[in-house]
Amino acid sequence: MDRKDKIIVENLNLFYGETQALKNIALTVPEKAVTALIGPSGCGKSTFLRCINRMNDFIASCRITGKILIDENDIYSPETDPIELRRKVGMVFQRPNPFPMSIYDNVAYGPRLHGVKDKGKLDEIVEKSLKGSALWDEVKDKLHKPATALSGGQQQRLCIARAIAVEPEVILMDEPTSALDPMATARVEELVRMLSSSYTVVIVTHNMQQAARVSDITVFFLMGEMIEYGPTQQIFTSPKDRRTEDYITGRFG
Amino acid sequence: MGNTLRGDKAPQRIIQTISIIGVAIMLFILFFLVKESIPILKEVSIFQLLFGMEWYPTYDPPDYGMFPLIVGSLSVTLAASILAVPLSIMLAVFISEICPRKLKELLKPVIEILGFFPSVVLGFIGMVVLAPWMIQHLEAYSGLNLLNAAFLMGIMIIPTVTSLAEDSLASIPKDLRDASYALGATRLETITKVVLPAALPGILQAVLLGVMRAIGETMVVLMAAGGAAIIPLSLTDPVRPLTSTIASEMGETPVGSIHYHALFFAGLLLLLLTLGLNLLAMFIERRARRLRA
Repeated sequence: MDRKDKIIVENLNLFYGETQALKNIALTVPEKAVTALIGPSGCGKSTFLRCINRMNDFIASCRITGKILIDENDIYSPETDPIELRRKVGMVFQRPNPFPMSIYDNVAYGPRLHGVKDKGKLDEIVEKSLKGSALWDEVKDKLHKPATALSGGQQQRLCIARAIAVEPEVILMDEPTSALDPMATARVEELVRMLSSSYTVVIVTHNMQQAARVSDITVFFLMGEMIEYGPTQQIFTSPKDRRTEDYITGRFG
Repeated sequence: MGNTLRGDKAPQRIIQTISIIGVAIMLFILFFLVKESIPILKEVSIFQLLFGMEWYPTYDPPDYGMFPLIVGSLSVTLAASILAVPLSIMLAVFISEICPRKLKELLKPVIEILGFFPSVVLGFIGMVVLAPWMIQHLEAYSGLNLLNAAFLMGIMIIPTVTSLAEDSLASIPKDLRDASYALGATRLETITKVVLPAALPGILQAVLLGVMRAIGETMVVLMAAGGAAIIPLSLTDPVRPLTSTIASEMGETPVGSIHYHALFFAGLLLLLLTLGLNLLAMFIERRARRLRA
């Protein structure tokens, strides 16, 4: 696999007050591929994910050292505007969190923020995004109905549509299927595979089968450290580190 | 099965009895209010009562037109709401969304304590501070007037509205804010486009509760509104709301007289006004719940 590196992480440390939550993380995320972050609860994988779009900025006690480069720009340098960054790095959350407004308005929320006012253009973006998240056929007749009336799986795909509506380059997913049933999970996984042809996807998952199914690269985290990093196939068939092997064979976690 | 329930029966009975007594007392008050206000309708037509322009209950012949009193109640309440509601909502947004946590922990209790301020003290301030100031600076012929009362009443309802609106804002899940930020929204955009619309039903309820409190408020208007039963044409005209009319006249009225029944009728009007607002609040809440579910 010879893909361009989209995200490069160097010596990343993160502290919540005195506690160190991430220790010396260094890895690269290839462009237009799915990178899965796996590891037991509390290992820092979600915290790491939230570093990539600077969502940790909202936590007052959080302090970060080291570098994260996206397209060779340090996102923690003083010149980086976190608002700009988040337009480029979208995010899908653990629980579906559609806004309490219509399906259409949910998807159009981001584009409207960024100054798209033309109705025709918005219609086009909404349709394209909903098709992109494989939701269009199910909702095209009720675009102006409340988004909260959709099922959990549909809501999560709506959140994905909402994220891709602003045309990000990177999509971060924080355990996007943990609140969904198996059928809805399968659809979202399928969608993640589809998205990777146009976006760089970083997905945190609890579920190792999911990582094996959807990702190209797998990163294993344990207690705030990155233990192993490599092509998914290799991590799951011949892990180099004993702890990775113990985790993926279900000895702990 | 019977045995396992036995322990639950006694407390259930007690709670049932207590709530029946509570409801019975409320119904009795309502019954009393209606019963005591009906006789006035035999003496004066309801149209005359509601829309009559003259309130001279002690003249001979007496006039029982409550229109100036109703307008007095509504005008003071409206002016107080215009002064207090925008301020309260902004304050709630500031406390809930903008100020640092330390300040929030200080501000919220301080504002809630302001709500315990005895209204008679506010009325006193209105009389000795605001009234002379108004005569001097606003060329009011009476310092005790609509604006004075509205100002004090505004101060009274700010804590209620702010505190309840803040609760409503705080109940908006963090998930929604995160989703907005993650799409590249600024804090202001997140507040105006996501948090405020989502909290709107709760905020409206807070406003209605504040307004209800204002309509029923007696002491402030008794002391600071001036007490003239006229239709106010400017903010510095004195008014005589329903509440202060009842409070000031009930003590001097012979029990069972027409005047006495007229005052009960004024009380019934107040009850109907607050009941209407209550129903409106309930309706808003129910609609909001349907939208969210």
